[in-house]
Amino acid sequence: MVNLPAWLGSLDRKLFRDIWRLRSQALAIALVIAAGIGMVVMSFGMMRSLEASRDTYYDRYRFADIFASAVRVPDSLLDDIRAIDGVSIVEGRLTSGATLDIPGISEPITARIHSLPASGMPAVNALVLRSGRLPDPGRPDEVLASEKFAEAARIGLGDDIDGLLYGKRQQFRIVGTVLSPEYVYAIGPGQIFPDNRRFGVLWMGQEHLSAALNSTNSFNEALIRLERGGNLQDVIDRVDVILERYGGRGASPREDQLSDRFLENELTQLSSMTAILPPIFLGVAAFLINMVLSRLVESEREIIGLLTAFGYRSRTIMFHYAKLALVLSIPGLALGLLLGSWMGRGLAGLYQDFFVFPFLTYRAGFDVFFISCLVAILVVLLGAAQTVRRIGKLTAAEAMRPPVPPNYSGGFARFVGRIKGLDEPTRIILRGVARRPLRSMLGSVGIAAALGLYITSAGSTDNVRMMIDLMFNQANRADVNVVFTEDRDDRALFELARLPGVMRVEPVRYVGAKLSAGHRSKSETITGMKPAGDLNRLIDLDNGIVEPPIQGLMISYGLSKELAVGPGDMVDIQVTDGRRPQISMPVTSILSSPVSNPAYVDFKNLGPIMREAELSSGAYLSIDATQTDKLYRRLKDMPMIAGFSQRSAALRGIEETIGETMGIVRLFNVAFSGLIVFGVVYNNARISLAERARDLVSLRVLGYRRSEVSYILLGELALIVMVGLPLGMIFGYYLSLQISEAVSGDLFIIPFALSAATVAFAILIVLITAALSALFVRGRLDRLNLVSVLKTRE
Amino acid sequence: MSQPLKSATVESDSLYSIRGLTKIYGEGPTAVSALRGVDLDLPKSAMVVLLGASGSGKSTFLNIIGGLDEATAGTVMFEDQELTALGPSALTEYRRNAVSFVFQFYNLVASLTARENVALITEIAEDPMTPEEALSMVGLEGRIDHFPSQLSGGEQQRVAIARAIAKRPKVMLCDEPTGALDSQTGVRVLEALDQVNRELGTTTLLITHNVVIADMADRLLRFADGALVEDRDNPKRVAPAALKW
Repeated sequence: MVNLPAWLGSLDRKLFRDIWRLRSQALAIALVIAAGIGMVVMSFGMMRSLEASRDTYYDRYRFADIFASAVRVPDSLLDDIRAIDGVSIVEGRLTSGATLDIPGISEPITARIHSLPASGMPAVNALVLRSGRLPDPGRPDEVLASEKFAEAARIGLGDDIDGLLYGKRQQFRIVGTVLSPEYVYAIGPGQIFPDNRRFGVLWMGQEHLSAALNSTNSFNEALIRLERGGNLQDVIDRVDVILERYGGRGASPREDQLSDRFLENELTQLSSMTAILPPIFLGVAAFLINMVLSRLVESEREIIGLLTAFGYRSRTIMFHYAKLALVLSIPGLALGLLLGSWMGRGLAGLYQDFFVFPFLTYRAGFDVFFISCLVAILVVLLGAAQTVRRIGKLTAAEAMRPPVPPNYSGGFARFVGRIKGLDEPTRIILRGVARRPLRSMLGSVGIAAALGLYITSAGSTDNVRMMIDLMFNQANRADVNVVFTEDRDDRALFELARLPGVMRVEPVRYVGAKLSAGHRSKSETITGMKPAGDLNRLIDLDNGIVEPPIQGLMISYGLSKELAVGPGDMVDIQVTDGRRPQISMPVTSILSSPVSNPAYVDFKNLGPIMREAELSSGAYLSIDATQTDKLYRRLKDMPMIAGFSQRSAALRGIEETIGETMGIVRLFNVAFSGLIVFGVVYNNARISLAERARDLVSLRVLGYRRSEVSYILLGELALIVMVGLPLGMIFGYYLSLQISEAVSGDLFIIPFALSAATVAFAILIVLITAALSALFVRGRLDRLNLVSVLKTRE
Repeated sequence: MSQPLKSATVESDSLYSIRGLTKIYGEGPTAVSALRGVDLDLPKSAMVVLLGASGSGKSTFLNIIGGLDEATAGTVMFEDQELTALGPSALTEYRRNAVSFVFQFYNLVASLTARENVALITEIAEDPMTPEEALSMVGLEGRIDHFPSQLSGGEQQRVAIARAIAKRPKVMLCDEPTGALDSQTGVRVLEALDQVNRELGTTTLLITHNVVIADMADRLLRFADGALVEDRDNPKRVAPAALKW
């Protein structure tokens, strides 16, 4: 017994002793509340921290509002752009692809190189210098490297690395490492997850890069910051007009920038998780509080009657029980706030693996705590409301009378009586469950919530796995993807075919274009693919492998949404490469795939469209694995090759990057779902035990063995769990579907790939937790005093 | 009936042989002696009434020989078995096969009908009667499918008696079976117990506060302050119907 201070009133003493008596149930409730509040604090705080970090980062480092790329634009045109109404800063730069050769890494590394202005630090997309210094303008080889890449590839300041830039071998010396608002989520071409070992970004002096690219006094990318209130679309349109003659590929707003799109997508996912998961936990917590409190009041009827008889106002008594519920929730609330902050900090750490900010500190803020507390208190009061209202209605005389003996003579009880071959303990179970259908049902719903929750969060892992499988095993099956420095004719393909170990070559062509339908338009890449290809295939989620269209255009689901077009509709295409032809083409099909490019045409149709011979931008190779090293050495030396990537290395990179994260996420899922199951099963069992103690002890006295008596108690729980399982599977299925639809944006479709193994594992977790919780209670059953129950009236 | 009918005379072959039975609750200065060295032999088929004030030790005595509670010292022999040496699961088997209980508050399972409450026992007993037989012995053949909430107190207690006799126990232990009933209903319950004792030869121990009930027994035991203070035979057993209180 706890010692309580003398100044505490009698009712408050009772309150604390009640809580002490109910401590194990209180703990179960506290854990569920803690999980719910923890999740609110974590995800809400994380969302706000991410948003705040992003906004500050973008603002402080002047992240561009508009990106406009072209083939080659004289520097003088920057003044024309600057003169556009609404433009605040504009900066031109050169951007090029490259491949790097780093000792110790046999596979090719794809890099992107940006030029630095003569002043050193870019005015738009400014860099965060993390170590070292800016390159010396007098030293052509000095470069800055993205920090994560330098770390992953283990290159340090002063290290020299070899690379192939614009067909020429070149040596780079790392003099500094940086972060850029442009590469918060740094992914290479064709990647969906950052792979810092195989994709890096370098910055070098404008003068030296332009020399390497043969582009003096010109730029191929303009970065534009708008004035406050500047008209985005208006500026984009004007920039497009200015750059049209210089191979402009169509300016695009920040929201189309890859890194920003992924970041935005992540925030959307986080907010949909915040909207769905915590309410489930808090709902379960409210239900548990309701259950525990109503049982307590049931067993304290006489005390309530006594208090009323003594002249306590019913208001006072109601307040006493409401207070009990509130005090019951305090540990959970406190734990939740701590847990949420702790998990938030952990999550921020995980985010750093994918989203790179110079500062990402998880800060929940006072208002998040305040709102969480308010929510928790409301939930608790909601759970207590029904019971407390019942107390208010109880008169003294009524309360002092023992409750009316439970009446089991209803239809279902009769029905159970007519079932032949049922033993009496089973009848007790069935009638017990049926007598409190709401509570039993809510118990099952709680179990279903836990199961559904696990299925949903583990299912998202399945979705990612499927995406990876689609991308690397079904769609892109080439061992090596090669990208040319510029479009090449058939001879390049023959040359590739003659290289050691190359078994098959399939060409691909990319053409930049602005696609429009009505007033909607979008700058995208059109991919030309050969039909019946084996190394790169189009996979439709509904129809499996599909061929590129013989005529017309196949567009991705995302693009069809953005242009608001469907099969049969015409799309105007302003090609931004080559002779910049302008044509109209019908959309012949929509490709629904999580890993597709925006638009496809048949490879052989591109020649006539472009009014030139059949050219390729790159090729897919299948190779003899024994010749890999030899082939790589040759590829790295070929001037026509801008870069190449190896499928197995990319796949390994992804698995390294997401493997650990998935493990942690899975652990959290197991813990959280386990908490709910434990809370529901344990409280259900404790209350059944309290209600049934008399029956169970009577049976023990009559000679029933422990195992036989346990059957009655645990059988009821098993029934509740069993009913919960199919409900949970249905709930989990629809919730996963809902979430994967909610987070599927224009960037990618999230496939829905819930696997049987995930569902089976989820069920296993629920069953194991339920069994453990039941085992706890069974221990109490074994310790029940046989004599005490017999002398008391129910 | 498979059990032989026996006359209600005290026989020399004892069912229980109790020596130095002691029960102390608690330890040290707060220890309370509930039983202080009771010696007693109880014969088969007897109807024994236990009298005594609250706290005299009679319930403790009944609980120990019923296998519900453990003695602090002393031995209880049941036939040739030493109850005081048995562990919990052996005691469960003893309760399951040899003893039946009837309680003041009936302790019926509210979710089972009269028949099903009796079936609770017949399902686990070795040579039980049918629930119908047991219920008709206590005059409840007409209320067989009623739930406890649909039965009067006396009827509920008779269901409890039917449940107790259904497994043909050697001993029936009744703790204040009429304590919660009015006298008229109480007499009906006692008649049922008397009938079972006469027809089945079940040794019956009956705790009561009501001295009058002692007249229906073969033997009277009176407890005071944890000790057996009176032990006398009643040569003239009176039928329960003739009891008045």
